[in-house]
Amino acid sequence: MPFEKILAAIDGSEASDRAFAKALELASLTGSTVTALAVEGPLPAYAATIGEVDEVKREKDAFFQRVLDDTREQAAAAGVQLDVQLRPGHAAELIVRIAREARVDLIVLGHKGHFLRDHLLGSTADRVAEHADCPVMIVK
Amino acid sequence: MSELAVAAILAAAILVASTMSVEIGISVALLELGLGVVVGNAFDVSVPDWLAFVGSFAGIVLTFLAGAEVDVPQFKREWRASLSIGVVSFAAPFFVCMAFAYWALGWSGDASQIAGIALSTTSLAVVYSVLVETGLNQSVMGKRIMSATFVTDFGTAAALSILFIKPNLWILAFVAVSAALIVGLPRLSPWFFARYGNRVIEPEVKLIFAALFLLMWLGDKAHSHAVLPAFVLGLALSSHYASHRKEQERLRVVAFAFLTPFFFFKGGMSVSVSALWANLGVLALLFGAKLLPKLVGVYPLARRYCAPHAGFTSLLMSTGLTFGTISSLYGLQAGIIDETQFSLLIAVVVLSAIIPTVIAQRFLQPSAAEEARRDEQARIGELLLQREGS
Repeated sequence: MPFEKILAAIDGSEASDRAFAKALELASLTGSTVTALAVEGPLPAYAATIGEVDEVKREKDAFFQRVLDDTREQAAAAGVQLDVQLRPGHAAELIVRIAREARVDLIVLGHKGHFLRDHLLGSTADRVAEHADCPVMIVK
Repeated sequence: MSELAVAAILAAAILVASTMSVEIGISVALLELGLGVVVGNAFDVSVPDWLAFVGSFAGIVLTFLAGAEVDVPQFKREWRASLSIGVVSFAAPFFVCMAFAYWALGWSGDASQIAGIALSTTSLAVVYSVLVETGLNQSVMGKRIMSATFVTDFGTAAALSILFIKPNLWILAFVAVSAALIVGLPRLSPWFFARYGNRVIEPEVKLIFAALFLLMWLGDKAHSHAVLPAFVLGLALSSHYASHRKEQERLRVVAFAFLTPFFFFKGGMSVSVSALWANLGVLALLFGAKLLPKLVGVYPLARRYCAPHAGFTSLLMSTGLTFGTISSLYGLQAGIIDETQFSLLIAVVVLSAIIPTVIAQRFLQPSAAEEARRDEQARIGELLLQREGS
């Protein structure tokens, strides 16, 4: 089987939704399992108040919970076995690390995420493609 | 430039800082400070009286919020480790920076004390952000670091309130009212908040603001500073807020929407870029005077209480932001330090928020999963020891 384990990075953006749909399509064709990895992204760096950090963390938790619930529903509808992970941290670093640790055969992710920094500093997809040990599918 | 024109420029800059913060993930406070520097230097806008006033009050509100955010039960559980790390984290840079400013830089005694206080701080919020982001806030090590940060902040607040007192009779009223509020408000607040709270007119926020204004007025009359009683008052109300998160949330909304932006803009606008440019060497030396004693002082204790992540702990304890800014602004406003000294202190404070954090996260960040395993092993060890003992 070409791809036994697929890691789909999701962030709730349209590009990530399309990437996840492709991951499910591929998984249902090949019988692979899919891990949906949602990376919460960094909290406000160098914060002056705990309130600022707490608020962003709460917002992210609620947002990603909704995103992960959607992915579960989609995977169940497609009949694909899904493992879901929600992790804090830097998206590119974490996607590459978890893909390496879990020895996945393919990483699937959208070409751009939510944030302005994705456009200014190069997207998460670029960095994952550069550093990953396995094939990477970037979905437009 | 008219006051309304300054207000319009500031309002626009505050809006820009907020949106930038959401887009690039840098705290709004740091961006407000940075944009304050731009507005103050590029547009040659000086700090108007109303901004100085609102900014001073915002500093006290920030101090109160910092006290209210302390997890007291957690501190009680980890008091031994927290106290030793926290006291050294305050005292080592305080004495070194004070001595360095006095003897090496030739600053006055009072200005040197401000330098010692401003550069002794550890940023609770910077530390919290790193720990929550990595999941380490759930580990014993993370809890010890958080509690130690509270001790350091307490040292800073105490030093700022005590060192510059020029006692007169008002000090009696200041102390008596501070004690009455600290003891009385936690008892009054459940009834008051239940009866008047949860309305858009926000009587509970107004109660806190009235108490803080009273402390500021009496502190001013007594030639002291309200930062210590404001911090302790927040601390006294922390248990109440822990069980009434909505009330804390509303207070934060009022503070962050209207007050704290003016505090950080006031700080930024008072920085002179030309003075910094002319004193880059002094800036580097002051930065070293803050960091080295923090690292050297905290590291041995961190090896004992936060092993094997002593380097990570020491670097996080070296961060600073809010209390450093509050202390420096107090010094500037009271005429204790001049614009150049203020600019240097703020620059060191901002650098200390960024550089130790980046190094700690980039090179020394522990794994939260590994720490959870270590904590679990320690718990099992303790249980086995208890079983053997009984």
